[in-house]
Amino acid sequence: MSNLIYEAVNWNKPTSELAQVFWDQQWKQIWFPEEIAVSKDVKQWQSFEHQDTYKKVFAGLTLLDTVQTNIGMNRVAAYTTDLQEKAVLTVFDAFEAIHAKSYSYIFTTLCTNEEIDELFEWVKKNEYLQYKANKIGDIYNSIEEGDSESLWKAMFSSVMLESFLFYSGFFYPLYLGGQGFLRNSAEIISLILRDESIHGVAVGFFAQNLYKQFSKEKQEELKLWGYELLLDLYQNEMNYTDDVYAETGLSPEVKAYVRYNANKALMNVGFESMFPEEEVNPIVMNGIRNEGSTYDFFSQKGSTYAKAKVAPITDDTFNFNR
Amino acid sequence: MKTYLKLNNDVLNSYSTTGQLELEKDREATRRYFLEYVNVRLRYFIDIEEKIRYLVDEGYYEKEFIDMYDMEFIKQLYKKAYDYNFRFPSFMSASKFYDSYAMKSRDGEEILEKYEDRIVIIALYLAQGDTVLAERSVEAMMEAYQPATPTALNSGKKARGELVSCFKLSMDDSMNSISENIGYCLELSRLGGGVGVNLTDLRPLGDPIKEILNRASGVIPVAKLLENSFSYSNQLGQRNGSGVVYLNVFHADIENFISSKKPNADDKIRLATLSTGIIIPSIFFELMKRDKDIVLFSPYDIFKEYGKRMSEISITEMYYELLDNPNIRKIKRLNARKLYTEVKKAQFESGYPFEIFDDNVNKVHPLKNIGRVKMSNLCTEILQVQETSIITDQDKPNEYGLDVSCNLGSIDIHAASKVKDFEKLVDTAMHLLTNVSQMTHIKNVPSVAKANKLMHSVGLGCMNLHGHLVTEGIMYGSKESVDFMDCFMEAMNYYSLKSSMEIAKENGESFYRFEDSDYASGIYFDQYVNKIEEEVSPAVLKALGNVPIITTKMWETLKQDVMQYGLFHSYRLAIAPTGSISYIRSCTASISPSTERVEVRDYADSRTIYPMPHLTNENSHLYVEAYDVNPYDLIDLYAASQKHVDQGISMTLYVTDNWTTEQLAKIYIYAWTKGIKSVYYVRQRLQSLEECVACQI
Repeated sequence: MSNLIYEAVNWNKPTSELAQVFWDQQWKQIWFPEEIAVSKDVKQWQSFEHQDTYKKVFAGLTLLDTVQTNIGMNRVAAYTTDLQEKAVLTVFDAFEAIHAKSYSYIFTTLCTNEEIDELFEWVKKNEYLQYKANKIGDIYNSIEEGDSESLWKAMFSSVMLESFLFYSGFFYPLYLGGQGFLRNSAEIISLILRDESIHGVAVGFFAQNLYKQFSKEKQEELKLWGYELLLDLYQNEMNYTDDVYAETGLSPEVKAYVRYNANKALMNVGFESMFPEEEVNPIVMNGIRNEGSTYDFFSQKGSTYAKAKVAPITDDTFNFNR
Repeated sequence: MKTYLKLNNDVLNSYSTTGQLELEKDREATRRYFLEYVNVRLRYFIDIEEKIRYLVDEGYYEKEFIDMYDMEFIKQLYKKAYDYNFRFPSFMSASKFYDSYAMKSRDGEEILEKYEDRIVIIALYLAQGDTVLAERSVEAMMEAYQPATPTALNSGKKARGELVSCFKLSMDDSMNSISENIGYCLELSRLGGGVGVNLTDLRPLGDPIKEILNRASGVIPVAKLLENSFSYSNQLGQRNGSGVVYLNVFHADIENFISSKKPNADDKIRLATLSTGIIIPSIFFELMKRDKDIVLFSPYDIFKEYGKRMSEISITEMYYELLDNPNIRKIKRLNARKLYTEVKKAQFESGYPFEIFDDNVNKVHPLKNIGRVKMSNLCTEILQVQETSIITDQDKPNEYGLDVSCNLGSIDIHAASKVKDFEKLVDTAMHLLTNVSQMTHIKNVPSVAKANKLMHSVGLGCMNLHGHLVTEGIMYGSKESVDFMDCFMEAMNYYSLKSSMEIAKENGESFYRFEDSDYASGIYFDQYVNKIEEEVSPAVLKALGNVPIITTKMWETLKQDVMQYGLFHSYRLAIAPTGSISYIRSCTASISPSTERVEVRDYADSRTIYPMPHLTNENSHLYVEAYDVNPYDLIDLYAASQKHVDQGISMTLYVTDNWTTEQLAKIYIYAWTKGIKSVYYVRQRLQSLEECVACQI
């Protein structure tokens, strides 16, 4: 038996600047795919011309979320030393698992078993998809105990995955949903996005704290490494976009959106943006605003309800200072 | 991609990135929408006569009401409507009208009606041959009156749904009544209605059946049956049926009922699509104030002991009697504060339950001598007396009581302040609502049909308050805004009463048991004839425009007339939340503050961007968003309006997610102390992460 001293996580004493904030925010927005009536999309789905693209987009997202659940958050959490941040990352990991499962929920509702099996085969065979999974997966797998450089690289990659690589896929449901098409599947995506945007900000924030501890020279070296990785992934992403969106004619718009998010990902880790500003389709832009759109009370569940903060009713509750 | 959608989306995109409102993009979107979508689909007719003939011959319009009029008159009426030169002021209004309201060919390809056409058809249909009323109706609707969606959508159409959309049913504690009411729900849901069902009288989980203990399953399984009925019966898949169930907070099943809407509730009790509401008697708040336990009861005991249903007694008056009576089981004791905290938790997590403040409703209920108001409807603005039907075995006739159907309409406050004759506007609206009620016969729900025939209840409300206040430079929630609503709703009350009295006088008929009401005794008018007439500030006077200030003298005269001639309508006013209809008219919804200056509206099938009416780059500071309005100010405004409304007002509260359950409880309690009758949803805006991190980094 080993003779280590195990330390218990003590939330009474903040050890991380923002762990509590990220923790609260994530739990506040808990959701489950079963709350969304995807079956209402079935009718539109049946006469949809680009089923193939749509399915592949979702299959690709499933792979990324699977990698992020099983390796990404998992490994980053394992090697993060602050116990509160570790807890936050473990919670994020659980949400990644919900995301990966929610795509299956959409597949189950819209597709036949045979189609679904084919899709998961496609995932294994698509070179661009496998390329990004491998590229990121390798970095996750090379974290070493006590080596903050490898941990920073993993965090950087995690932010790239969540704030950048997902978006070639998110584009399509947002684009269609904003035009009244397959709205419920789009609702699931907007809920996933709401989570991914905290993950991107949080991991990016942890990465920035780590980065500050490096020497100037090391910082320069890592920055270079980061931009090179981004460019590498970007090239692959362009090919992936062409491949998946070929039949829809949407490639140029998807690419603009990918560049927009690449810049956002860089901002999350505290780096300068890389691509010049350009116009992104406003329908897609409006799809990612999470402030809580106004819902028709007779229609769907809004994405704006969240966990309550409980405080007891006291005598003072009955005093109104008016 | 459709260019008009892109342009419409651009409005929000540029507003949220630059803070500048580019209304010309929305106008351009509207223009392109007509060019690309509407004009190419609009069927061409040589003249009005050909159009009407075609639509009647092809079975789009009913023939009967057209035949009541002379073709020359109809042509004139069309001209009258078209002379208003109506233009859709926003993309939202145009697209909502053509997507959902205009008559289309059966294959959905051709558009057969423009906005004015729909208005004329509604007028002709509802006026039933009365040319004077038809003309007045076109005026009212082109200017300031809007019938509720079912009436606006269905009037004159041959293949149509019902003209009313809102129903309340009372369920009794017997299998016969449960199954009968489920049948009603299927039926009403098929007609596209929203249905409220009162579950307070059902015995709770574990109660005896035929004296054998622990046999009853309680209210939740019944609620589940109702939920399934509503989702089964869905208007040919167009819209899922909607329903709400109400339960008294002293009912023994209350804890499960409150948890039933939580997203993480046990599947066996979770209500996914059915709405819930709780009835709260004042005694609950009083016990909570003193930090006491409350005792839960069974309606089964109450009925056995007193011969009355739980919903038929005032718990506030009877509470200690029930406690002292050994034949009434004290099924459970709960700390009131803890229970109410659970209610607040559920509201944060799901928006439910709605709350009805039982004594605030019944204390001022003008028909209190006729019966109690036991529950509300799907949007918590309908509050009417009900009488439970006795549903017998199949070999005996049922004894039908009174249930509720309500037809609604709304006056655009901004437009109303500008019409020449406010009295005439309200009177026309009342006539139109009256005719809807008389043309409605829900034959498969006898208790509803019976009440409709006897009670003639209607619900006239209003909308566009926030829009109007902005044009007048008045801040929502300010003292001026509260005073304005106080005067405006008093005028609505006065003129709707006057109109109802005139109709009763004309028909020689009042509503059932008028003589037992507070109107007949004159008590209702005490608050008005004895009021202290206060000076109205110039800003409020200006905002009222052509809406008269009602004096005590006017009230005195009206009181005498009502006592002499009666009233035709048992209920007249109710302020609905007004969704789609306010969008078509480019109004802000109901009397609530707008939630966003540039709103994203997600309907089941589309997403549209809607800059608030009258919003400009200059006045945007007046469009304070609902989440930034002080909730106590908002409640004061609703309380001032509520004084003049015989039924209820659909009131949504807005909070942010850094609120605690205690803060939420506090505003509800405040609302209760101010005489508010019901609280509809509580909505919260999730702070996005940028906001909360930004203040710390």
